[in-house]
Amino acid sequence: MSGLQLQQLSRRCGDRLVLEHLDLAVAPGECLALLGPSGCGKTTTLRLVAGLDPCSGGRILLNGEDITARPAGEREVAMVFQSYALFPHLDVGENLALGLRSRGIPRAERDRRIASVLELLQLTALVRRRPAQLSGGQRQRVALARALLRQPRIVLLDEPMSNLDARLREELRPELRRLLCGGEPPVLYVTHDQQEAMGMADRIAVLQAGRLEQVGGVRELYTDPASRFVADFLGRPAINWLPGRDGTALGLRPEHLRPRPEGGLQARPERREWWGHQQLLWLETPRGTLRMLLPEGAEAGAEGLRVGWRAADELWFDAAGQRLSAEGPWRQGLESGAV
Amino acid sequence: MIPLLAVDLLLMLPALLLLGVVFLLPLLRDAWLSLHASTVVTGLMAVPNGAANWWRLFDDARFRQDAFQTVRFTGVSVALELVLGLGLALLLHRPGRGRALLRALVLLPWALPTTVMALGWRWILNDPHGPLNGLLQAVGLPTFGFLTTPSTTWLAVVVADVWKTTPFVALLLLAGLQSIPVDLVEALQLEGAGRLTILRRLTLPLLAPWIALALLFRIAQSLGVFDLIQVLTGGGPAGSTESLAMYAYRQSLRFLDFGYGATVLMATFLLLLLPGVIWLLLQNRLPRRTA
Amino acid sequence: MPPLPPVPRFLRRLLTVLAAALLLLLLPAAAREASSASAEITVRVLLPAPFHDATTRELPQFHRDHPGVNLELVRGPLDTDAIQDLAIGSLLLGDTPFDIMMMDVSWMPLFTAAGWLSPLEPYLGAGMLAAMEPGARPGNSFDGHLWRMPYSGDTGLLFWRTDLMPLPPRTTDELVRISRDLQRSGRVRWGYLWQGRQYEGLSCVMLEVIHAFGGRWWNPASGRTELDRPSALQAARWLEDLVKEGITPPSVAGFAENEALQQFAAGEAAFLRNWPYAWKVIENGGGPVVGHVGVAPVVVAPGQEAGGTLGTWGFSLLRGSAHPREAAEAIRWLTGPEMQRSLALNEGYAPTWTALYEDEALQKGAPLLAVQRQALAAGPLLRPPTPLYAQLSDVMQRQANAMITGQSDAVSAMSAAQARSDALIRAMTGTPR
Repeated sequence: MSGLQLQQLSRRCGDRLVLEHLDLAVAPGECLALLGPSGCGKTTTLRLVAGLDPCSGGRILLNGEDITARPAGEREVAMVFQSYALFPHLDVGENLALGLRSRGIPRAERDRRIASVLELLQLTALVRRRPAQLSGGQRQRVALARALLRQPRIVLLDEPMSNLDARLREELRPELRRLLCGGEPPVLYVTHDQQEAMGMADRIAVLQAGRLEQVGGVRELYTDPASRFVADFLGRPAINWLPGRDGTALGLRPEHLRPRPEGGLQARPERREWWGHQQLLWLETPRGTLRMLLPEGAEAGAEGLRVGWRAADELWFDAAGQRLSAEGPWRQGLESGAV
Repeated sequence: MIPLLAVDLLLMLPALLLLGVVFLLPLLRDAWLSLHASTVVTGLMAVPNGAANWWRLFDDARFRQDAFQTVRFTGVSVALELVLGLGLALLLHRPGRGRALLRALVLLPWALPTTVMALGWRWILNDPHGPLNGLLQAVGLPTFGFLTTPSTTWLAVVVADVWKTTPFVALLLLAGLQSIPVDLVEALQLEGAGRLTILRRLTLPLLAPWIALALLFRIAQSLGVFDLIQVLTGGGPAGSTESLAMYAYRQSLRFLDFGYGATVLMATFLLLLLPGVIWLLLQNRLPRRTA
Repeated sequence: MPPLPPVPRFLRRLLTVLAAALLLLLLPAAAREASSASAEITVRVLLPAPFHDATTRELPQFHRDHPGVNLELVRGPLDTDAIQDLAIGSLLLGDTPFDIMMMDVSWMPLFTAAGWLSPLEPYLGAGMLAAMEPGARPGNSFDGHLWRMPYSGDTGLLFWRTDLMPLPPRTTDELVRISRDLQRSGRVRWGYLWQGRQYEGLSCVMLEVIHAFGGRWWNPASGRTELDRPSALQAARWLEDLVKEGITPPSVAGFAENEALQQFAAGEAAFLRNWPYAWKVIENGGGPVVGHVGVAPVVVAPGQEAGGTLGTWGFSLLRGSAHPREAAEAIRWLTGPEMQRSLALNEGYAPTWTALYEDEALQKGAPLLAVQRQALAAGPLLRPPTPLYAQLSDVMQRQANAMITGQSDAVSAMSAAQARSDALIRAMTGTPR
């Protein structure tokens, strides 16, 4: 078995179970994003893999080898911290050298590796600057450089872009992918930003309250969410919810609503946001407020319209939030909306 | 509209006035007094006597001895306090049960009034009835005059001072330790760095400004030491623990020799400026430091 | 620079509790202050703790006899040096809160030279001291004025063990011989205990011993010290040898009155040098030597006159007092025969009034009276009566303590003391007036 396997991984903090029996596998070269709201256990998972916190149960296997009890310093982990964790008293070059030095890498080798990674990240000109003299993006590049310097067996990224502005984040995503993913080591990427997860990861694991909700490919999670939580968490603007019978709920993504000449629900636009390539409408309907994404060019009259959707786009969930099949008695009463 | 500089000055005025009244004025008065004779012989009137007090000071073996003793006390006790305080701070910084209680306990010596604790030490070190000598006797050793041996009594003073002030240093350094982000330590841990490397390469450099602050406080305080020694040894035995502050105090308040007392005080003040100068030098040096 | 950490919570709590406790202590005091302020004249006296406690007992009598005057006794520190610092500190403020100050005999030249005292004879008359024992009179009058009324006639005394010897030694040699014999036979661990700490008490011991060998510390005619004369050297060497030969423990270098007293009371020594109060303390302490303590004049070298250091306290009127008449009356009462009778009975202090020594009733209650009178009659020793005494004593304490601790020897200690004293007198009196 190669790659990273987490088996029944648990972490307890006092009486609180922060992580509960997590089973997860990351293949070599695969980038897996851990996605979830804050407090869901994603950073905890990362720290357990890094060896920064002890597990309360379960095992961590790396290339078939049990590393659960191994100290952090011996796991050969490269980690990029949310804060970047740059040493404020050292300049860029020294920041990079410190880790190599404490691993006893000879000076010549050290200098060679630092020079090449500085070049790769276009940091050569900044080598004598201290972290305080760098911009946010530059700091992040230094943190990346430090992760790249070692030949790690796992790469861990803890919200590496949350301190950057949106534009920079978008620009950096492919670069980050190019530099870190696709090599030998598996990559674990923690984020609370679904767009970032979707842009970066091969697969996404959605965590909530210390439990794994669903793991799968980006498209799979979006189109075929296993739980109401996953459906709700992924997708912006957020999914619409219509109450079904017996506590069930129907999820309809805003882009799946379409104006119709007849049938469907009677709707009155309450508010609209114009986004350039599309617009977002808030519709007042007998079933509640619905958000609808209209492609550029499509028009909805101010006085009212009818909206419908395709039966294939319906996502049904039971009262406990578990996914239901698209056929069933719960559809009664809402069929009128279907195309 | 008032110019900005005028506003600045106006806002600073109360602080400047306060500084002037409580600091500058006494200092000038002291400097002035050091150029006068003011004793019972002159009827406590200040009579100009040129640099006579200063010539007397340069020729005063007791002043030199007290200066040496004060600096020795400061050097040794501050060094010990720094080392022990750092150790204590590192210990208190580690997570663990009962840490809050331990922190409170450690602070106790510092919270105790100096005179009370000095009396306590005077009793502990009493020859032969003190508990320490009791301990020596219990293991079959002869008693020792901790406070009556001129060559070693200053060490007893150092011990008492270290006991009292190490918590202060520890507290300051603990605050410094807590200001170091955990991420930094973990980042270095992941690189396989051991505890010693982390201490040497990360903790100590980041703690440097706090250490400098502790040094500044402690050196300035130690150079002006008075109450501890006054109560513990009274400056004895044979004057071997007298500090400059005690000498100045005695000249003025015991002997009513205000002119010479002012001179000793002025000389002590100049000595007290030293840590400030050291501080400035350190401040200038630290940013240029390389790993 | 990172910001300073906040004050720890427990410390804040501690401070709160302390502040509350302080407030509770101060409130009753403030209330008392307010109640006593009604139309009365308040006379404030600063006095050391033990005297405060002894005097307070008699205070109701004063208030009965002196309506309209509120005598307020302010309890100062115990230690002589500390109370001197406090007294001088309050006087230097210019406007002292006290009307009367309790004064050690050794402070008188300094305080009168500083101009802090008012003469007492305008209020009490010139002949006040005439009815006192001659030995209790010195140290109170200077330049034709009465500056102080003595409260006690204490002198240094020798305390000896009646269970170890039939008669006390008279000479230094006898003391050494008896001590040595007793120590050899194992009946007692140490011979002679005295005050060797670097403080004023050591100066008192030195004064006594120098005189015991026929020397003197101060020559009033020349205005110089005579510490390098053979007799002074002999005296210093005697003390040095006491320690060297183990008759006196080396720890004497740290002894003030109380440390010496406690060790003697514990039965560890044959002799003790102390003040009269020690006898009551030992007898009331319940230790192994209770009932076996005799009191005698201090020992002298063969052929010399006995004399103990005059260690008397008394009351002086401060110049700034707003009610000098009432304050002088208070002094008259504070030092009067009734007060001294009570002090002799309860504390063992030596009276100054001749009449009290001849009072047979008092003699029964205060068995030391005869010895005290004898010591006063022997011509008690006054510490150098010069305003520079504090400095001279400081020089003496350092040098003598250096000798006792073995840091120097008798010859170099005494010649250094003489040289430093000379330099000091030159520096102080050489300044233009």
